[in-house]
Amino acid sequence: MASKSKTHRLHQLSGTALQSIAKRPRTITTESYMKDAFANYAGYLNELNEKRERVVKASRDITINSKKVIFQVHRISRDNKEEVLKKAEADLVAVKDQYISRLVKELQGTDFWKLRRAYSPGVQEYVEAATFCKFCRTGTLLDLEELNAGLLPLSDPAIEPLQINVLDYLLGLADLTGELMRLAIGRISDGELDFAEKICRFSRDIYRELTLVVPLMDNNSDMKTKMDTMLQSVLKIENACLSVHVRGSEYTLLGSSDPSFLMGVPDMQS
Amino acid sequence: MTGGETDAPASMEKQFEDFRVKLDEAGSLRERIRAVVNEIESITRLMHASLLHVHQSRPLSEVLEKPKAQVDGLKELYGRLAEVLCECPGEYYRFHNDWRSETQTVVSLLAFMHWLETGKLLMHTEAEEKLGMNQAEFALDIEDYLIGLCFLSNEMPRYVVNQVLAGNYDCPRKVLRFLTDLHAAFRMLNLRNDFLRKKFDSLKYDLKRVEEVYYDMKIRHLANGDSAEDNGTQGQS
Repeated sequence: MASKSKTHRLHQLSGTALQSIAKRPRTITTESYMKDAFANYAGYLNELNEKRERVVKASRDITINSKKVIFQVHRISRDNKEEVLKKAEADLVAVKDQYISRLVKELQGTDFWKLRRAYSPGVQEYVEAATFCKFCRTGTLLDLEELNAGLLPLSDPAIEPLQINVLDYLLGLADLTGELMRLAIGRISDGELDFAEKICRFSRDIYRELTLVVPLMDNNSDMKTKMDTMLQSVLKIENACLSVHVRGSEYTLLGSSDPSFLMGVPDMQS
Repeated sequence: MTGGETDAPASMEKQFEDFRVKLDEAGSLRERIRAVVNEIESITRLMHASLLHVHQSRPLSEVLEKPKAQVDGLKELYGRLAEVLCECPGEYYRFHNDWRSETQTVVSLLAFMHWLETGKLLMHTEAEEKLGMNQAEFALDIEDYLIGLCFLSNEMPRYVVNQVLAGNYDCPRKVLRFLTDLHAAFRMLNLRNDFLRKKFDSLKYDLKRVEEVYYDMKIRHLANGDSAEDNGTQGQS
């Protein structure tokens, strides 16, 4: 398709180049076989680099808009859960339809691995946002199969579909614990202790599962750094939960935004 | 602390178990690839050592004899590489870094041998054929080929110097023309600031060095039978 017309144009190009060569000194004609070949290589590289550019742009857009979904989910509280999640989920679908679809357009066959470094950051952020939403909705981990099933409709059934690979999924999951930590702290200060404990158990599970898988990952130096950060996040969640646990009754005095608890006027929560 | 401390849900466990299996498989594939690549590396080292005789002005046919014989061995090894990759279709570039630099070296050696024999540049398709890398799923990456050509050019200045020392005064002119053409061809490419770009920059320095040797000889009238040809090279009008 696009590549066909490009090489066609290149052959026309070298045709005219050859004509102008005839007028020039003999020495230039000896290199015409080189120039013809390199005209093709130039075409190949141009196409590759332009595609890479487009993929990087799409990846950036995916990143920015996935982050917005994450910020949206952080607004969640006992009172507005349904509203917040509905919007987040709708925004997530928009990310898929508007931005991931652009990736689908560009990537085929060997591109998936060849250009992975160009689109991986965006995909990781998307994984983070999608798993975050799912956890807040159902308390479970969105698995890769389900995530990828959601991407299938974006691709023409005749071509190879864009599917998130294991490595990007795991990298995105590693970042998720950071957001879970922020969520846990936020929920604790709103008095939602059960939610915080759920987050605690969930993060522990993810961390534990990942420790067994990380050593097997390709080029896992990135992931190893993320694991260190992840452990810090898990520790923070656990320590925050410990504080709640130990100070038990003091925390039941915390209302949603009632500063008077300090005066000893309890605002009883359910 | 009692109620919630069950294991991770079964679905999570299962998913991660699947991941472990998949990644384990990729890991063993990678080990097999590395094993083949180590063998490729051994052969290229031998070929390179043989080719180094060219700096000691042994006769060309003698210098090329052993390396040419080893090309078949290389082809066989790349064939084995292709077989391993057949087991994971579409993942050529997943494991590409495991054989990238060795392949670039191989291309530079093949191109050098080709140039010594024919004075011409080994084409991408010719290189692919010599290595059996002209299958749909297993081709010679163009950037690897181009980088290999830059490694070839890196050898040229030293070759020219040693040829002149051995009394071959015609060499600089030939190499200069070749590198000039090669450099001009490379200039047609739009390069990013990556490794290929760096290697292209080194090509410029190789060309400059050969120009210097050629110039030194010319002004001392040491270059043989060059007067008529040279006017051609210089006449850019």
